[in-house]
Formats: sequence, C-alpha cells, structure tokens
Amino acid sequence: MDLRPLVPALVLSVGCGGHEAAPATTQLEARVFAGGVAPPAGAAPALANPFRGDRQSAAEGERTFGAMNCDGCHGGGAVGWVGPSLRDGRWRYGGSESEIFQSIYYGQPHGMPAYGGLLPPGAIWKVVTYLQSLEPPASVPTQSWK
Amino acid sequence: MIRVTILALLAVLPVAAAAQRGDWPMPAKDYAATRYSDLSEITGANAGRLRPVWSFSTGVLGGHEGQPLVVDKTMYVVTPYPNVLYAFDLTREGYPLKWKYRPPVDPNALGIACCDAINRGAFYADGKIVYNLLDGHTVAVAAATGQELWKTRIADLSQGETTPVAPFVVKHRVIVGASGGEFGIHGWVKGLDLETGQIVWTAYNIGPDSEVLAKPGTFRPFYDRGAELALTSWPADVWKNGGAPVWGWMSYDPGLDLLYYGTGNPAPYNPEQRAGDNKWTASVLARRPEDGTLVWAYQFTPHDSWDYDAASEMILADLVVDGRPRKVLVHFDKNGFAYTMDRASGEVLVAEPFVDVNWARRVDVATGRPVVDSTKLTGASRGNVKNVCPTLEGGKSPASPAAYSPRTGLFYLATNNMCMDYQATRATRIAGTPFIGATTPYHAGRGGHLGAFIAWDASTGKTVWRTTERFPVWSGALVTAGDIAFYGTLDGWFKAADARTGKVLWRFKVGSGVVANPITYTGPDGKQYIAVYAGIGGDWLLLSGDVRSDDPADVRPPADFMPDIARHTSQGGIVWIFAL
Repeated sequence: MDLRPLVPALVLSVGCGGHEAAPATTQLEARVFAGGVAPPAGAAPALANPFRGDRQSAAEGERTFGAMNCDGCHGGGAVGWVGPSLRDGRWRYGGSESEIFQSIYYGQPHGMPAYGGLLPPGAIWKVVTYLQSLEPPASVPTQSWK
Repeated sequence: MIRVTILALLAVLPVAAAAQRGDWPMPAKDYAATRYSDLSEITGANAGRLRPVWSFSTGVLGGHEGQPLVVDKTMYVVTPYPNVLYAFDLTREGYPLKWKYRPPVDPNALGIACCDAINRGAFYADGKIVYNLLDGHTVAVAAATGQELWKTRIADLSQGETTPVAPFVVKHRVIVGASGGEFGIHGWVKGLDLETGQIVWTAYNIGPDSEVLAKPGTFRPFYDRGAELALTSWPADVWKNGGAPVWGWMSYDPGLDLLYYGTGNPAPYNPEQRAGDNKWTASVLARRPEDGTLVWAYQFTPHDSWDYDAASEMILADLVVDGRPRKVLVHFDKNGFAYTMDRASGEVLVAEPFVDVNWARRVDVATGRPVVDSTKLTGASRGNVKNVCPTLEGGKSPASPAAYSPRTGLFYLATNNMCMDYQATRATRIAGTPFIGATTPYHAGRGGHLGAFIAWDASTGKTVWRTTERFPVWSGALVTAGDIAFYGTLDGWFKAADARTGKVLWRFKVGSGVVANPITYTGPDGKQYIAVYAGIGGDWLLLSGDVRSDDPADVRPPADFMPDIARHTSQGGIVWIFAL
C-alpha cells in the first residue's frame, strides 16, 4: 500500500486545536528524526492496535518509553515536563490510538521526533498501549486547556 | 582648545548611541559581570516607598529568565520562545512600543530545549541589539529601527543544540554558545563578526587540542600538565557526545584580554558511561576573544557525577586575599562551593561551601581537586544514592546570577537549600532525543526552608548574612550604590533588602514567580528605575501550573518537595518597572 496518499489525510485529521494544516511533505520535512533516521517511505503500518488493552504489551511499551528517551521530555510516568503530559487526557494532535501512533511514527511539530525510522510499528503500538493504560489525574493546569 | 577636544572626540565616536552611565547595555551591566549600579537615589531611607510605575504583559507563558536592556532612553525586552524583541520608548507616557521584531523561530526547538523555552537576554553593541533565537540562530537588529541586520545559524537542532544563552560582545566579536547537556551535544563557543555575523572561529570545550584551541606555548592551566587533556580524560569517542554546553554568563578583563565562561555537565548523567575527569566539562575556560585561543582552564567538578554544571557567572573583582591585593574571579558553583581564583593564572585561592555540601569534604587548593565522599558517587551500578547535597538545581542556579558591590565588598546571591537522591541508569544516545540516564527527586535541606538570599565575603569564604525563603530562590541579584540588594522569589515577591544587613525593606507581589534578573537605570527624567520580569518557569516549568500539585493523582516526582507552590503563583510573563 502506498503511504503517500494516506499521510495528508492523517495530518488533516489531527490538525485541530488551532494547528494549521499543511501539505504532508512540508510537515514531514519540518520534523526532527530520532537518531537522524527518517521513517521508511512506503511502509504503511496498521491503523489498529494489535495489542489494545494487553497488560504485557503495556509493560513492554513502558520500557520502550524509557529506552527511547521519551521520559526525558515527557517525564517519568509520562506526566509531562518540557513535553506535554501524555496522561492528562488532552491531546494536541489527537488521542485516538491511530493518532497517537502517527504522532510517534512521523513526529510532530514543536520538537516531537519521528521514531518511525528507529522503531518497528509493533514497538510503537506497545508504547501506545502503555500510554492508553495510564490513569489521568483529577485536575489539569489551566494553561493546558487549549 | 576645549572645542578642538570635543571635535576630536566626536570624530572617533561611532554613529550609534554609546551606552551612558545610567544605562544597562549588557546582561550583567558591565564586563566584570558585577550587576552593580552606582545609582544611589534609592536608599535604605526611602526604599519602603518604591511603587510600580509600569507593567507590560509579554503575551508569553513560561520562564522569563534574563533581563531587559536600557540604552538611549529605550528599553529592550526579549521574550522566551518565540523570541520577540520589544523596544519601548521611555520618553513617552506609558512607554509605548517604538517597534517590535518578530523573527521566524523553528518550533522544533521547543522539543530540544531541555528546561523550558527560555531566553537569557540580549547585548547592546555599536547600535545593534544582538541576541539568540532558541532554534540555533544569532541575530543583530538595529537598535534605532528594529531592522534585522544579519542572522547567522550557529547551532544544529538535530544534534540537540539550542541557544537560550545571551551573546557577549567584546570589541568586534560576538561570543555565543549552545545548550544541550541533556542531549549529548559536543559543546563549543563561537566567535562571530559583529558587523557581518560571519562565524570567525569555533572552539570546542572537549576533544583534541586542535579543536579546543589549546595551542602549545599559549595554553597554561595552573593545575594540569600535558597535551590533549580534553581528549585523554575521556574514553575513546565518548567525548563526541560528552556535553559541556555553554548556557550561562560570560565576563571579560580588558587588561588581561581574557574572556571567561563556564561549561555545563558531562553527558550522560550516568557517570559510568564516561570514565575519567571529562575535561573541560563543569569547568571555567579563559580564552582570547579575538581568535578563541585557550589560555587556561580549571575543572570545578572532575568526573561530575551529580549534574553540577559550572555555567554560573565568573564575577571579576579586586579583593584582598590573605593580606594581598588580588585580581580575582569569583564563581558560585552548582556543586555548592564558592571559588575565589586568581583570574590571570587560574589558581584557586579560596574554595568554601556557601550551602550545605556533602558530596565532597572540601576543595584542596594545593591540587585544585575536591576531596570527594565516595559514598556519594553515583552510577548505574550503585543503585539509588540517597541524600546528596546540593541537588542538581545547584546550591545556586547558574540561571540566577549573583551581584557584587565594591562599596560593601560583598557578593549577593540566591541559593537553594535542597538535597537529592540520585538513581543513575544506562542512557542511549539517539540524536535529537534526550541523553540523561538519572532520576533525581529532591527534598528540603537542613531547616526545612528550600532557599535563601545571602551575602558572601569572597576574601574569606564566609556567609555574612542569610535571609531564608520558603521556596528555592531562582532570581538574579542586583546591588546598587544606595546599598540596596534586589531579588525575586519563586512565589512571586520582588524584594529590596539592606545590602549590609539583609533586612527586607520593601516587597511587591509581581503576579508570577521571579526567575529573572533585576536591573536599574536612569530614566529620561533623571530618576532611578528598577525593572524585572515576572514569569515562573525554567526548571520550575513543571511545578508552575495552577493545579493543586499535591493532588493524590498527580504523580509528578519532584512536586512532593514543595507541594503548595501552585497556591502562590501561576505562569505568565510581565515586565515590571518600579520607582520612588
């Protein structure tokens, strides 16, 4: 399956929250690639999580979250640091499992690196499984209400 | 005769306005980095009558570090990302904008900056406002018009480099550095041409002598001997991602023609991945500004195992030490020791703790090395090392520079009274992602208060007075010829204290925690003004939300040591001006 037609649709679908939609090629060029490796062209990952709700996969995803330095920005436990909290129920680029997957695979503006060149889709799905297993806090800061 | 003299002076003056006595043209006011002003209208007798005369919302949330500049009746303010430069006309009522410069800044920098998207300010030189954008560019803007004169890419975001540091201009050289000690950068300073922005030289802080610009015959460290010190004090190739960022403050001695700056931590935080001293991380380096040649260097924390960056300012003063007048450099390190050094040679004259320190028993001034307590050494194989004092926020943060008054002979600084547990883990370097390898929760030090504002005698290495504060103190200091010291607190108070006793004479709640540096200047009306930013952030970004941070569901690990800061402050950037 050719990835190219898919990408603009995905970018547009997560382009809410005041974020400007732009052609996918432009946005991809604006990404930081983790390890300097771009996501592979033409490799279309599945858009449904094969590990949804699986505790073992969530535990593996938590280890990957540390090993890939995600916690260096998003904090231990994904509670947020210079990067946003990933457990407060608020998602700048969409909080469905496929949207979270795309954010990790292709990266996002504002410095979220693309990990699609480093990690196989299965490992990313386990990180998604981990993040979706986290309980949100009872309250969130006002400044994250945007 | 007089007319001839004036004409001769005019002939050599540059067209651009030169900074006047009552101006504040560079981050620390002067090349010696004193943050001292000889303005004396505000005194102990009248400081209680200070009042706010103006405020301005920058429109930016997040940490407002750094300080405004005032030159030629104009105030210049650089915001945190997106790094807007405002020029306010101080001659007109309400200080309206003269102009605003808003450059494009790559938003990816937000994910590469370790500790909030802060900026430490601008430098005025030869009619230009020179500052760094967070995404690795230095810009020069015409001070009169806001027109961009040049823009130079100095750093590489994809390698983890960002640029919140304030540039430092010596003659026609603009000296810049980059942050990224948490991203495994290969730290450097660069010298740019002030007229064109062209990069003239690059000097690395770690690596082979040829890249460090340590040349035979001109590089003479006081304590170290031999060649390739910044290479042989590392495992092979590890230095290439070894950190040594430059994110603090610089100073310059025109008589010695030496530029001084400190370097940040070695990467990663797990020291077992980088055996050796790791020179020149956590060090002071003295270079020739013209071509970057390294003249001497000294490492405060060899083989740093606690993230003790040495990015704090090097304040130049003339002091009497052991009965002898000395040209010294005074440095308050994150590691908790205050160093008084001969600034020509790099010899340590005095090194005493200014906060509670337990990672080292003392500094041996004969060898220059700390006497380390081996039970406080960290590493992935050592598990969770408990109760290391001070924390990696520092006994004093480099983000909050000290001030020196030649009238009192004392140094004034914000300090932190905190200790940490240090659990190192193995870190993997992935370009463009963090390279850290430690979890380090904090707790209050002795006495339970988290910070203090102190006066320090650098000739003897002793605290003269100390005002404890409930929260860590994270603002820079200002001291004036009226013998008033100014500082701000994390819970949003801006204070004026008697510089001789520490007694707080006046305070005002500025709307958000202060992590910035106060300045003073003479207004067009001849009065003395004080200016400072409010805007909590920087390392406190995580804790500055207005949500209850003692919420049981809030698992943010550092929050438990100051659970109620959120009751006293929230985010928001404001420029404040005060006067009598």
